Amino acid sequence: MTEDIPSTPRKDLLTIGELSREEILSILETAKPFKELFTRSVKKVPTLRGKTVLNLFYEPSTRTRTSFEIAAKRLSADVTNFAVSTSSVVKGESILDTIDTLQSMQVDYMVVRHKVSGVPEYIARHTHAAVINAGDGYHAHPTQALLDAFTFQEIYPEMDGHRIVVAGDILHSRVARSVFEVMHQLGVEVGTFGPATLVPDTVPDFVTILTSFEEVLEFNPHVLYLLRLQLERQQANFFPSMREYHRQYGVTLDRFKILRDRGTWIMHPGPVNRGVELVDDVMSYERTLINTQVENGIATRMAILYHLTPEERKRPEPEAGQ
Amino acid sequence: MSELLFQGGQLAVTTQSDLLQADIRVLDGIIQEIGPHLQASDQHQVINCSGKILIPALADAHVHLREPGREDAETIASGTEAALAGGFTHVLAMPNTDPPIDTGGMVTFVQTMARNKARIPVSVAGSLTQGREGSKLAEIADMATQGVVMVTDCNHALQDEYVLRRALEYTRHFDMVVGVYPDTPSLSREGVMHEGRESFRLGLPGIPAMAEEIGIERDLRVAHAVKGRIHVQNVSTAEGVATIRRFKERGLNVTAETTPHHLLLNHSALEGYGTRFKMMPPLRTPEDQAALLEGLKDGTLDMIATGHAPHTDFEKNLDFLNAPFGVVGLETALLCVYSDLILSGQLGWDTLIERLSSAPRLLMKSPLTTFEPGHGFECTILDPSLQTTVSRESFQSQSFNSPWLGETLKGGISAVWRGETDLLG
Repeated sequence: MTEDIPSTPRKDLLTIGELSREEILSILETAKPFKELFTRSVKKVPTLRGKTVLNLFYEPSTRTRTSFEIAAKRLSADVTNFAVSTSSVVKGESILDTIDTLQSMQVDYMVVRHKVSGVPEYIARHTHAAVINAGDGYHAHPTQALLDAFTFQEIYPEMDGHRIVVAGDILHSRVARSVFEVMHQLGVEVGTFGPATLVPDTVPDFVTILTSFEEVLEFNPHVLYLLRLQLERQQANFFPSMREYHRQYGVTLDRFKILRDRGTWIMHPGPVNRGVELVDDVMSYERTLINTQVENGIATRMAILYHLTPEERKRPEPEAGQ
Repeated sequence: MSELLFQGGQLAVTTQSDLLQADIRVLDGIIQEIGPHLQASDQHQVINCSGKILIPALADAHVHLREPGREDAETIASGTEAALAGGFTHVLAMPNTDPPIDTGGMVTFVQTMARNKARIPVSVAGSLTQGREGSKLAEIADMATQGVVMVTDCNHALQDEYVLRRALEYTRHFDMVVGVYPDTPSLSREGVMHEGRESFRLGLPGIPAMAEEIGIERDLRVAHAVKGRIHVQNVSTAEGVATIRRFKERGLNVTAETTPHHLLLNHSALEGYGTRFKMMPPLRTPEDQAALLEGLKDGTLDMIATGHAPHTDFEKNLDFLNAPFGVVGLETALLCVYSDLILSGQLGWDTLIERLSSAPRLLMKSPLTTFEPGHGFECTILDPSLQTTVSRESFQSQSFNSPWLGETLKGGISAVWRGETDLLG
């Protein structure tokens, strides 16, 4: 990397689509030294000392929130969690009201999770703070995708020409959308596998839709990426039963044996539904990367915080007579 | 006795797609003579219209004035001023107020308010069912006596074919039309935009085109079977247009409308999650746009209606799922159709005045404003040398939830004459 390339600093991370391949690689590169830090007894660097990171979670998520919290703390930032109940928002206070309040508190970074697509983008337009999308609706989860790319790259440093299959509920998955994008940007061939009700034809053109486990084997992915299935999907008739889902689209014991023989790596954004996406045996398989993903999540999120630059705030003019 | 001579302007007329260079002589508010180079006499007051376009005053058969109930978003006064600013001199107010307009008494109440507060006539549509709940017919005859020209449950699509059938039968004895909002709620569900590649990419729940397609097919079949008179509101899909065309060929007494936004925009406008593009039915695809335009040209779609749906800034600033459906349209309709369809040659002036003036007036039983001797003079004057920037401040409407907010449209509406008065003057 050359130092003298002029580049406009990036304020927000909202989707993978807005990042160039070079920018993605640069974030992944930055995450490496941060990860090495974790093996030391002092895991902290002073990079963001004096900065404030706010976790603004309109939707509960202990795992992602904690990951961001640790990442920010290891960069020496001050971290505050701000949980908002969505119902009160609809009743009276708009998102904008909340943002104005937080803006007044001089927050430098906002990590936003919301159940409705587009909200982080909306917030980003209305604040000086750097906004990180920690998952919005079915739309995007770019930090998850970047940590997955980091994890993939640790196994296959040259990602170009490798293959991944993302399996499960694509329709309702922000993880799938962002993983598709990041893998495609990095030259990984992308396949997808799940019930036709949950894998619409409207997936991006570069994604190969696989309709049976045999086709998945034929595609021969280096990584099989399983998505968490929301159990309420069954109520809405996307598939008839958990049992059938597992047998048709999950990693059953028989299928696991085939994958293990091939040395296929398994990824999953967590938390896992045992007996639905995968059988328990997968959890103790040496090529299951679920815990590695969690560890890499912290390093990648440190790299993302490091990568972004909040806007300079103008000091409000003091009023006459004060 | 007063005589006006509108001199030097170009007229939009029913007989040709291009404008006609002609003058109009108006006596006591009635058109006396139309022709080139009419001579001014001493009694004439001459109105110089050179460089301007004279359009038969427009009418809109689908507006939500929000009064009573949501006066924070719009009132009869502000909504009708918005209509005037957009060149409309007659509107049909929808009954989804709070409480809804579902009795003769409510109709009279709203009519009285409109007479006191509005400078233009307001026709009132009544609810099809009591409380717009879709189960029991409202007192339709009673409302017809009060001059109601349409009964509709607006965006509450009738889910019960039996009720629809009875409504279409019952209204046959009254000179009115049943307005339907074609939808299949079990398919549109919690959707907020057109289902397709864009909705997948944006991660928003989709409303499939088939929800409307099936709705139109079903409603028209029922109307055909019982020989009812039906008006399809808000057509947005290509397949919907084809279905209406087919039933028109079979002789069904059906009229249909589409909106300026469905004609001129598509689902790619939702990039950026702008809630001022959130509407029901949703913005569809470029292919649907093309089919709507085709339907508008061949008369399958009888009229353009704005569906003017004001919502407060607070409501529209909610997230995309919770923000309400609907956009305002009265003040931009003529200018954006002019900018995008007339100037590009895709639509002729004769079609424009048929769809934005004559057809809605026919539905509302309002006198035609086309330029013919004997017609009352009601005329919207468009100045092509102007530009109109759509901004929060530019609206007469209390709300500004417009897809064209921030855009600059070609042309400007410089006057709206009725009889001897310029209502914008």
